[in-house]
Amino acid sequence: MTAPLEVSNVKKTYTSPKLGAVDAVKGVSFEIRPGEIYGLLGPNGAGKTTLISMITTLENPSEGDIKVFGESTQTNSAFTKKQIGVVPQEIVTQGFFNLVEILQFHSGYYGVWNNKERIDYLLKRLGLWEHKHKLVKQLSGGMKRRLMIAKALVHKPKLLLLDEPTAGVDLELRTSLWEFVRDLQKEGISILLTTHYLQEAEALCERVGIISKGSLVFNGETQGIIRKLTRRTVEMDLKSIPNWTLPEGVQLLGQRENRVTFSTPSEMSVGALLAGLSIPSDLLLDLKTREGSLEEAFLNVVQKGASL
Amino acid sequence: MIGFLSLFHREIARFLKVLVQTIVTPAVSSALYLLVFGVSLGSTVQSQNGVDYLAFLIPGLMMMGLLNNAFQNSSSSIVNSKYTGELEDLRVVPLSHHQIIIAMGLAAMVRGLVVALVTFVVGSVFYAIVHGGFIGLHSVFELIYFIVTGGLVFGMLGLSAAFYAKSFDQLSAVSAFILLPLTYLGGVFISIQNLSPFWQKVSTLNPLLYFINGLRHAILGVSDIPIGQSMLISALGLVMFYVLSLFALKRGNFHRW
Repeated sequence: MTAPLEVSNVKKTYTSPKLGAVDAVKGVSFEIRPGEIYGLLGPNGAGKTTLISMITTLENPSEGDIKVFGESTQTNSAFTKKQIGVVPQEIVTQGFFNLVEILQFHSGYYGVWNNKERIDYLLKRLGLWEHKHKLVKQLSGGMKRRLMIAKALVHKPKLLLLDEPTAGVDLELRTSLWEFVRDLQKEGISILLTTHYLQEAEALCERVGIISKGSLVFNGETQGIIRKLTRRTVEMDLKSIPNWTLPEGVQLLGQRENRVTFSTPSEMSVGALLAGLSIPSDLLLDLKTREGSLEEAFLNVVQKGASL
Repeated sequence: MIGFLSLFHREIARFLKVLVQTIVTPAVSSALYLLVFGVSLGSTVQSQNGVDYLAFLIPGLMMMGLLNNAFQNSSSSIVNSKYTGELEDLRVVPLSHHQIIIAMGLAAMVRGLVVALVTFVVGSVFYAIVHGGFIGLHSVFELIYFIVTGGLVFGMLGLSAAFYAKSFDQLSAVSAFILLPLTYLGGVFISIQNLSPFWQKVSTLNPLLYFINGLRHAILGVSDIPIGQSMLISALGLVMFYVLSLFALKRGNFHRW
């Protein structure tokens, strides 16, 4: 099955009289599998939006190639543009038209003349039905975001690019938007998502790419990076503290009376820890574990430069 | 084709949303020119090209309105889109550069045509009041030819200028320092036969002269320029500005300001 998106060794260099040549994206390669949600993560200015701009042809790559469902965005953009729906990071304000008109014109650009059914569905699904005759400037920030999503979906794209779709959106709306994203995935749409909410990326994305200073420093399973770059925290309440020797890779984080906290490698099971510490089960009153998070893994890569 | 029609429809809908600004104001302006120069001062001004001054003025003002409004329509649409971010949409959707140029050019022509028609109607009413008759029409073909080429050329000029402009000021400068002087010196108000031979030669370098005289010939059958020459230069302008627009879209920046 053809990959919805293949990014192959893509580079983008900007030249300015003041700064000279600046490499915004340095040879990035990754692909999105059919029907998956792929998270592209990175700090501000890492190159995420530049990459999305190149996928949509808003920018041309300096080197490399981008294929959407097997066709190059450089040589067959008429095809690739039809497959893509994009929710840009910045809101498009469109002063002259109401929501229905905006969605009608946008449908038309994609070759769909009479799209009332789809437009009505999206307006209702995204909670914009009551506001359909308003101008964009009359909408709240959250509504504007939802309008951007409706625009991106109006032509039933097979690949959806979401560039920080929930930036500045309240918790309730964020939750409903992510629920909607999951529904889109169930419909078979492949999704590229950039977000600063790493908890949500962890919950939504099967695989993630971490981009830092224009380079893709990780590309793989979300759980894989968490296992590799984070540690598990194990807290035990014991009847009494036995003598123990810490097994290899285990650290004692703290001890208060009979409550002890250990940090272990993610792949070490609790059973192996107990056996390694020689703690008999009758000494154990309670046990809690906390797994590492994508956020911790992300910070380890981006801030501490952890190797992968 | 649907994409092209949608953009054309959007551009028409855009100027209809602000009708007072896009149609009524230019029409009132033309009406005032006709009232002051044509009706009030017209009797004191000698006939131009052998026709009554009010009649002479009507096609000139029609073309002036058409060219200015065609330029304004496409340029303001692009510049507004740069502010709102809509221009990025235009790049991301599957519309070809040809579709964008022709749709925006045609919509610009339609706005110019509406202003020109209103000017013609108002001018005809004044003419009927002053002279008790109606202005005739010399050639329908020429009328359509010069309206279409003039509207498209200035629509495409507006599109190109707006793509290259880095601010509203730069676009205003094109309008104020290039278009406006060329319009006023392009034979709207006087025949270039009133000028000295040197300035007559200089005037022939003004591209607007050919559009204005072309329309005047279409309506009144008189012109400072042979009609074939006006038609040829208008057609060359069409090709030249189409290429310029294509270049602007290929090289221009679609990012928001």
